[in-house]
Amino acid sequence: MTLPLSGRIFIANDNICLIFKRSYKYIMYATKQPSLRINQADLQCKEGCGFYGNADWDGYCSKCYRNHMEQARRKKLKQAANAQSGHQGESSKSQVSGFTKFEEKKRQQTDKKTKYFKSLPVFKKTSSAKDIGKPEKYAGLRQSNDPDADKLKTEFLSKYKYLGDEIRRDFLRFSDSFIRQILEDTNVKPVDELAEIAQKRYNVYNTRINSYHLYQQVSAEVRAELEDFLEKYTMTALYTSLFCPSSTNDEDKDLSIQDRIRKLTWVNAHHLDCCISETSLEVRDLVYTAINDLLGMDSVKAPQEKLQCVVKCCRSVVEVLQHCQGGPVSADEFLPALIFVVLKANPARLKSNILYVTRFCKESRLMQGEAGYYFTNLCCAVSFIENLTAESLNMPEQEFQSYMSGEMTTVSAWDSALVACEGMHQLCEHLSLLNNLNERNISIQEEKNKLMEEMNALKEDIKRKVSSVLESTPLVIKPRKSISVTDEKPSGGSLLSNIAIATHNSENIDKTKLTLDLTPCIKFPCIIEDNIEEDNVLKPSLSADLLSPFEQSFEGTTPDDNSILGLSKVNYDIDLSDLSAENSMAEALTPEKRFSPTPSYTPDPFSPVGTTCTITQQPLIPSSVPLQMTVQKEPQQIKDDFVAPFLEDLTRETAEETLLDKIEATPTINLPPPINPIKTEYSGFSKQGWKIPSIPCNTGDYSSLSSQPGTSKQDE
Amino acid sequence: MANSTDEISNFKVVLLGKGCVGKTSLVLRYVVDKFNNNNISTVQASFLKKKLNIDGKRINLAIWDTAGQEQFHALGPIYYRSSQGAVLVYDITDQDSFQKVKTWVKELRKMLGNDVYLVIVGNKIDLEKDRHVSLEEAKEYAEKVGATHCETSAKLNQGVDEMFFTLTKNMLSISEQKQLFNSTLSRQNSQRRNVIVVDDEQEPSMSTSKSCCGSSGA
Repeated sequence: MTLPLSGRIFIANDNICLIFKRSYKYIMYATKQPSLRINQADLQCKEGCGFYGNADWDGYCSKCYRNHMEQARRKKLKQAANAQSGHQGESSKSQVSGFTKFEEKKRQQTDKKTKYFKSLPVFKKTSSAKDIGKPEKYAGLRQSNDPDADKLKTEFLSKYKYLGDEIRRDFLRFSDSFIRQILEDTNVKPVDELAEIAQKRYNVYNTRINSYHLYQQVSAEVRAELEDFLEKYTMTALYTSLFCPSSTNDEDKDLSIQDRIRKLTWVNAHHLDCCISETSLEVRDLVYTAINDLLGMDSVKAPQEKLQCVVKCCRSVVEVLQHCQGGPVSADEFLPALIFVVLKANPARLKSNILYVTRFCKESRLMQGEAGYYFTNLCCAVSFIENLTAESLNMPEQEFQSYMSGEMTTVSAWDSALVACEGMHQLCEHLSLLNNLNERNISIQEEKNKLMEEMNALKEDIKRKVSSVLESTPLVIKPRKSISVTDEKPSGGSLLSNIAIATHNSENIDKTKLTLDLTPCIKFPCIIEDNIEEDNVLKPSLSADLLSPFEQSFEGTTPDDNSILGLSKVNYDIDLSDLSAENSMAEALTPEKRFSPTPSYTPDPFSPVGTTCTITQQPLIPSSVPLQMTVQKEPQQIKDDFVAPFLEDLTRETAEETLLDKIEATPTINLPPPINPIKTEYSGFSKQGWKIPSIPCNTGDYSSLSSQPGTSKQDE
Repeated sequence: MANSTDEISNFKVVLLGKGCVGKTSLVLRYVVDKFNNNNISTVQASFLKKKLNIDGKRINLAIWDTAGQEQFHALGPIYYRSSQGAVLVYDITDQDSFQKVKTWVKELRKMLGNDVYLVIVGNKIDLEKDRHVSLEEAKEYAEKVGATHCETSAKLNQGVDEMFFTLTKNMLSISEQKQLFNSTLSRQNSQRRNVIVVDDEQEPSMSTSKSCCGSSGA
């Protein structure tokens, strides 16, 4: 039955399942889950004996607690025995786990575990003393004789070899009888009596060593050494039974002082009026040394060794003060500093150690000499901590209470002790922030590059399109050639019709396409802009620049061939879209401007055309074949360096005129000369441009009729 | 050979007094004969030893400084436990410090009885012009409680050595008396808490080296 129950209990423990609480009450107590003692009913002794329980006794009354502890100990012993034989089955296993868990918990709270080891020999001894007698006692003695004591024994034998066998034998006989006597009495007499026995023994040995004839040849120093060694050896051997004996509540005191110190973590040097500067690196190192020394007290066994640890700690404290204030260190400064160190060290089993030393250290050592003084100071520090009140820290009661309850927390200078560490921490945080920003920066850069690539691709694409269109343009020009060469009417007529489309009719139809085409053209300058300023361009500004550089780009990009293409495009587009029928005037005018500086022969016929658009145009075409031949040559030139003339104009014009002006001006430049360029423009926007002529052909007739009825008629 | 070690008597002297009355200065003046000097070789002035030789008797004085702050007052008993002498220091310019001495005296008498020899010391007589505790008042009080009264100046090195000399002499006589008392009863006072037990054993050996064995036999 115990097997399944115990199995479930552990689950209940883990989940703190209160439902299980009542039914499995008893077994849960065995596992000692403190968090389950919430219920008011549990204030009474868990055994249900009617007496009130005590939190210190795990909810039992004093009597039941003793029984319980005894039981637990017995079980544990049994467990240890069973673990080896291992034929107990699962029930034992579950219990084992229960106990290990229990042990673990204990260990976490304090370093109590030694108590259990300690209790082992004691337990055995009592039973053996009753049952069997002396031989077993020696066995117990052997057990408690830990390796350290054995080591000391061999050390003694080798160190004092020169003293001769007699003295050594006497020493060992004395010490062994000492140990035996104490062991016999450990469970019978209270600790204080044991302490008295030990002190008497020390004194007896002192008188013996000073009076016994055997020791007469031994020098005073060696005698003192032997006395010390006796103390060291016996106490090391008896450590397990004399340190924090089970008959006392030393352990509870340890817990309470530890808890107390933990509650007082907020106390800093300033509260104690102590001049330890917590920020100095040197001082901090020394304080840590002091803390280490104090913590070391628990790890050594003999009282004088423990005292030595205290002395070392206190010397470090003195050194700390020396560093902080200079000059000799008086008790006024020393005690607060020591209290501070004790508070920060919170040594394990502090109280047990102090009590052990006071009980079993040789009185004369404790009451005199530096060690005694420092030990007294340590006692004072502990006493001060135990009785610490708001008054002793010179702070208002309310503040003290709020500190104790955790309402208020200090920027505990010691925890953030480490101002440097704090600084480092901040530094690291900032660094990571910077890294983060950098990463984001890089990603933005990458995105930017991607965008640029896209733009370049787009540019290439458009370039390709343009070039393809340009390639296709010669086809358009060819008919011109044929016209010029053959002077056939039909070809000329088609040409004219095309012109008409270009200039007048198709505008409405084309407008949509043209406007559409505008957008890529607008992008061009952006790309160029980016290229130029790539290095110093800030990412956020990119979007903003998209629009603003638009105007700048015209000036900036003129030297660039690509940009020119783009620009020419822009010009074409806008020009056409903007141009309406009335603009034929502008077309007529601008050619003038353009051609006036260039070839000398053309200006004459064009300029008149410019003044009267429709009428003058008529004579232009029929005027003469040679003239047209020259015109035909021109487009070829233009084709070859399509940009060149335009460039000149652009550079000239951009300097003086606004964008709008340019737009008006530039298209006219291209359009006028042979009138062919108009066709090229159309083809340039899209391949549909070619189709358009067929459609407008019809409309073109109307337009041509409406606007230039004369021309169409004449051509036909 | 045994005599040479046995002759040494160890006395524990505790320094009590309000903070800033000059306890540390006093003991530093006495032990290293320096005042308010940062170059003082000894790093710590809270525990000092002084070896004396009075009438051929070798004496080791262990002088325990105590923290004088009010909040540590309650720790007094831990300090002066089992001390043979107490130096109660007050500042003659500070009436309050004298009142503090009175409370110490009461405490000491209560805890240690007449085993402890008390010296009430008015320090800082170099500040005579600011005196607030009259010599008569202090002397009267000291007589009343069975203590010796001295006035000193650690700064000017006045009366310091004398004060400690008187103290040591009196401690010695008390311990001799006590030892005599013990030997007449020929009984060991096994009061463990009293360190003097060891000293007492040793002191008779000054007169007769054999007494040691005798006492142990008894």
